[in-house]
Amino acid sequence: MILEILTIGLIISACLALFLDDAVYSVAALAATFLFTALIYALDGAVFAAIFQFAVGVGTLTILFLSGELLSERAVKKTSSSKAFGLIGAGVVLSLPALFLSISGATSAGVSINFGDALWSLNGMDVILQGLVILTVALGIVIVLYERRNSGK
Amino acid sequence: MDFVILSLVVLGIGIYGLLTNRNLLKVFISIELIAIAATLNFVTLTSSAGVGLGQAYLVLAFSTDTAVSAVILGLLVIVSRRYGTGDISQILKVVGKEEGEDEEQ
Repeated sequence: MILEILTIGLIISACLALFLDDAVYSVAALAATFLFTALIYALDGAVFAAIFQFAVGVGTLTILFLSGELLSERAVKKTSSSKAFGLIGAGVVLSLPALFLSISGATSAGVSINFGDALWSLNGMDVILQGLVILTVALGIVIVLYERRNSGK
Repeated sequence: MDFVILSLVVLGIGIYGLLTNRNLLKVFISIELIAIAATLNFVTLTSSAGVGLGQAYLVLAFSTDTAVSAVILGLLVIVSRRYGTGDISQILKVVGKEEGEDEEQ
């Protein structure tokens, strides 16, 4: 029962995050999405992933709250209550397939191959991913420094 | 209750938002939703397989996602400060005008 409520909450908050007009409310709805996702992870038995998701989400949202006003136009009109209720209704309708349909037969066939072994027998995958992280950060720093140098001219 | 369908629905919402929104912040939120859908699929598959190491793989995926998000946010802030707006269509108009002025000169 709790998982079903969290599922509905996750989809409703995702819809609100995308389609609310005000940037602050939109980021707050994204915060709710992160929170619901972390709770679903925890209830599914992946507590470590839940804590990490929560920590990463808090960091991302802090930056988003700080830069949200800069990135968005001042809302010309506030989101009407009818639109907000419509979004909530759309979220409930969109969560119905996840609640009542099931394709677990197909997924369990995939799991029987031993998903973990398939991933972790590939030596160096973690090293490749860490390299990707470092490369991404380096690329970002290069772009920011290039922009700063050009604006200084 | 099926988490694969849940992640598919979240993925669909994210892709729809990515295609329809013209605001840079909403585009970023759409990308975050797509990342959430992917990691949700990872978590549910690994936890149903009972593999603890799968969560360690997730940490790497989260780290990559966070680094990419930081870079995207930095780029968005630079673009919005340079062009004074967060609307993609207005930014494209300004870029088009600048290119036209450069060609005239």
